[in-house]
Amino acid sequence: MSLALARAGLLLFVVLLWELLWIRGLPAYILGPFEILKHFFAALGSTELYGNIGASLMRSVPGFAIGAVLGSALGLAAGVSRVLDRMLSPMIFLSYPVPKIVMLPLFMLWFGIGDISKILIIALACFYPTFINAYYGAKSTPKILVWSALNLGASPWRVFCRVVVPSALPLIFAGLRVSLALSYIVMFAAEMINADSGLGHLIRVAESGLRFDLMYVSLLSIAILGYLSDSLLRLTRTRLLTWQELDA
Amino acid sequence: MSRLVPFVLIGAALAGWEIMARSGLWSPLLFPSLANIGYEFAQFFSRTDRLLEAWTSLHRALGGFALAATTGVVIGMLMGRSAFVAGLLDPLFSGTYAVPKLALFPIFIFAFGIGSLSKVALVFLECLYPIVIITCHGARGVDRVLLWSAQNMGAARGEILRRVVVPATVPFIFAGFRVALPVALIVVIMTEMVSSADGLGYQVIYALASLKTDRMLALVVVIALLGWLLDKALVVMRDRLVYWEKLETYYV
Repeated sequence: MSLALARAGLLLFVVLLWELLWIRGLPAYILGPFEILKHFFAALGSTELYGNIGASLMRSVPGFAIGAVLGSALGLAAGVSRVLDRMLSPMIFLSYPVPKIVMLPLFMLWFGIGDISKILIIALACFYPTFINAYYGAKSTPKILVWSALNLGASPWRVFCRVVVPSALPLIFAGLRVSLALSYIVMFAAEMINADSGLGHLIRVAESGLRFDLMYVSLLSIAILGYLSDSLLRLTRTRLLTWQELDA
Repeated sequence: MSRLVPFVLIGAALAGWEIMARSGLWSPLLFPSLANIGYEFAQFFSRTDRLLEAWTSLHRALGGFALAATTGVVIGMLMGRSAFVAGLLDPLFSGTYAVPKLALFPIFIFAFGIGSLSKVALVFLECLYPIVIITCHGARGVDRVLLWSAQNMGAARGEILRRVVVPATVPFIFAGFRVALPVALIVVIMTEMVSSADGLGYQVIYALASLKTDRMLALVVVIALLGWLLDKALVVMRDRLVYWEKLETYYV
């Protein structure tokens, strides 16, 4: 109870302080909180914002889907099969700390400056965290469970589906959460570097036109989008992993 | 023989690239040959102005990372050891976790200028999250039995913190650093690509705009090497400091 009060108090304090400072006069690039909300609701009434959100989602969702599916499939496979492990892991662990966004110019040359190069760069960025988590998830399956299942006469494929995958799922979800955050970052960067639509493009246009209201609208939209998809992922996780206690 | 297996795929990829480059089916603008890339790569290391670009990027990345590391460890420790602080700050960190902080960059440019400061500020913000979250996780998970034993043997609060909590959390702190360090590099390169006149990210965009694909690829290799070296340095440091715990999985 006192915690909720402290939280609400802190939030109220920050917002009020911000608003008061804004009334007293802040630099032009900082808008007051209520001003931002006013502009945001005004923008919700126009179609321009929806078009840009749609364009952004058309890039980030397929990219995330490709990266997540490939990453978890290959990660699980490499965690189970020694041959694949030997072949894939060194390359992936070697290139893991490399910022994947540097491949964007190359992808732009190969696949054009349209959506394909952006989708592929998002997929590439999302692939790594999912792969690594799925890999360790599959590797850390308790041996005793696998042996018991085999002893009870389960086929290797059935062991994979019923033992390895469920025990790797918590880690896979941890990887997906990282990938999701990354997909928005990379989407935004790719759109800021080169695009003719999308939220990243909108913020660039607003920046060069000194339209601070539009800048905050775009910022708030991407924040809400990120928060909503993260909540959706966490909800799916609690639904799927009913047997697991959640701590974070 | 079996030690060579990891290199099979890498070798095949390189050979495939060279064949594509030499086949003449694609323009050398799309697939420059390895020799040209190697030449540009050697050029990079023989010219001080290029090395200076790498230094610019590196000092931005490490500056932001160092700020995030010091702040993040303190916040993470507080959140891990105090239920009140955790309750207060947890909604903030988990709520804005998936929000791309990169969107703040245009505002940072207005606030901190177009030079290094806006980039360092963004690196700080992006690196703060993984460090805080993982440190908090580690500090919260300190073995109760150890805390009780220390208390029973009459250790003061400060001593428990110094001798029990901190050593138990250090592996997690390093795990957080290991997630955050590549992020620092990503953010620096991105921001330099978006708006800058120096640094490696700018050089990549510049090479692209001048259709020097071989130079661009050489820069990509340089950035990759930098990322790999930073990670290696961190792992070496971790193994020296946290000598009592072996690095087994990738994260912790």
